[in-house]
Amino acid sequence: MRTRISRLAWIAVISVIPTMSRAQDFKLFSRDFQIHGFGSQGFVYTSQNNWLTMNTSQGSGAFTDFGLNASMVITDKFRFGAQLYDRDIGQIGKWHPEADWAYLDYRFEDWMGVRAGIVKTTLGLYNDTQDLDFVHTWAILPQSIYPLDLRSSTISHAGVDIYGRIRPGRKLGKFHYTIYGGERRQDPYGGFVLGLASVGLTLHAYGGWVEGQDLRWETPVDGLLVGASLMNQHITGHGELTGSSAGITFLSGLLSLPIGSQEREHSNKDDYYQYYLQYTWRALRFEAEYRREFRNEWVGYYLPGSTDLAVTFNAVSDSRSWYGSAAYRISKRLEVGSYFSWFIANWPVDKSLPTNHVYDRAVTARFDLTSHWFMKLEGHFMDGYGAFDSIRGFYGQQNPNGLLPATNALVARTGFSF
Amino acid sequence: MDKSMRTLRFFFLAACSFGVFSISVRGGENVKIIANSRIKASAITAYELKSIFLRETNSLGDGTHVEPVLEKDGPVHESFIKEYLGRSDAALQSYYRSLIFTGKASMPKTVGSDDEVIGYVERTAGAIGYVSAGANTAGVKTLEIK
Repeated sequence: MRTRISRLAWIAVISVIPTMSRAQDFKLFSRDFQIHGFGSQGFVYTSQNNWLTMNTSQGSGAFTDFGLNASMVITDKFRFGAQLYDRDIGQIGKWHPEADWAYLDYRFEDWMGVRAGIVKTTLGLYNDTQDLDFVHTWAILPQSIYPLDLRSSTISHAGVDIYGRIRPGRKLGKFHYTIYGGERRQDPYGGFVLGLASVGLTLHAYGGWVEGQDLRWETPVDGLLVGASLMNQHITGHGELTGSSAGITFLSGLLSLPIGSQEREHSNKDDYYQYYLQYTWRALRFEAEYRREFRNEWVGYYLPGSTDLAVTFNAVSDSRSWYGSAAYRISKRLEVGSYFSWFIANWPVDKSLPTNHVYDRAVTARFDLTSHWFMKLEGHFMDGYGAFDSIRGFYGQQNPNGLLPATNALVARTGFSF
Repeated sequence: MDKSMRTLRFFFLAACSFGVFSISVRGGENVKIIANSRIKASAITAYELKSIFLRETNSLGDGTHVEPVLEKDGPVHESFIKEYLGRSDAALQSYYRSLIFTGKASMPKTVGSDDEVIGYVERTAGAIGYVSAGANTAGVKTLEIK
């Protein structure tokens, strides 16, 4: 009841803020200081299967997020800022605010700058802006590459970025590069923890060092951008075999290990390769992205109270994702679009199995009610649901009677930014 | 008229419509680029102008610090962003927001009219903006596009 009242209050806020919110831009200690914010509220209804950890088959409005940032320009080359972000999407987030980004930025020259702190990770077209619903056509980005439930795996790192822009000649377009390294975020309220809990493994920690690079080329062809990203993760984690709240002990049974056995893991190899293309022609925009994530994790289990390894194996998966999209802005207030998103959980395995793929066709209409307030309506036609560790929206906890191979979804989302 | 002829006619008319549209929206000659009088340069390249307004750079080739100022909306704004930035207003706003909400840049100053742009540019060191070609720009410098 309390949650419902809170959500109704939030919806009221979402409806009122767009009519009154303004960015705050003023001087502080004679320096330019800005405050910006955003928020969104969604509603999802599915024909069958509960999706994204919400009770969507009954219709769910448990789909809320917001962010607030402040930044200050110290000199022409030096600035800093920070953003708070929070979300509550079904069982994900659960209103645990986090420092989304917080960093110092020093730009020596246009061709080289440094950011240090918690920095959004540059990976493909939209990894760093995936929470910013107001900049995207879609109510929900293609989940093959930008899964809401795996956001924290790639969203940011605490470390250093070196970035810049290079223009080798008038006729060669320009290049933007980013090279980074740092510690990736741990997320006890994310989909990875939930997915493993659905088979009886409670993760206590999962994180580690990441490094990567991105190179994007604004080609001499007007409106054509192409790029590539590579990210390597060096993960360590530990957990415990437990009975979940639903009494699920799948892993315990599979491995013939008692409840309470301790799990340890680390990456032998965990690499993301991503390639992307964007072409804009007048009011039309085409995009395509491809991602391969290859994971080879060493996993070991210790019996309760023992330091001797009971079971060890390498968990290897080779997931491939891609999508193609087209969006057309009909007028200042209306944009329509469609995408086709493919996810294959493990490439060498039979791709026709619903446990090994999620295909999603989406159609969207976006209405810009004012320059700061939008509404979106989106239809999804999905086939497949992936494996328990695919983390692509379908979980045992919310679907205790099993999953059906096809899911249609209607998503409505409204939000504001200032 | 058979079906193929009708199809050809449709595409021809569509192509002509795009052509007319294309001509009607190219309005760079209706816009004047102005800068604070302390900026030494008297000309700027279209590439530099685009880089400044897309927040990719905050200095000119000679090292002078520059700060863009935009009009909120209107025909001069539409004409400028189409001609020099190659974007629609919706795409430009999305672009700016993706920068400010990832911490990569601040939102540029936005004002409501030619007069306000001229006033801001006149009193702000390094400011660079655009106004309609016929605006009275006494007190600020007009930059030539190289």
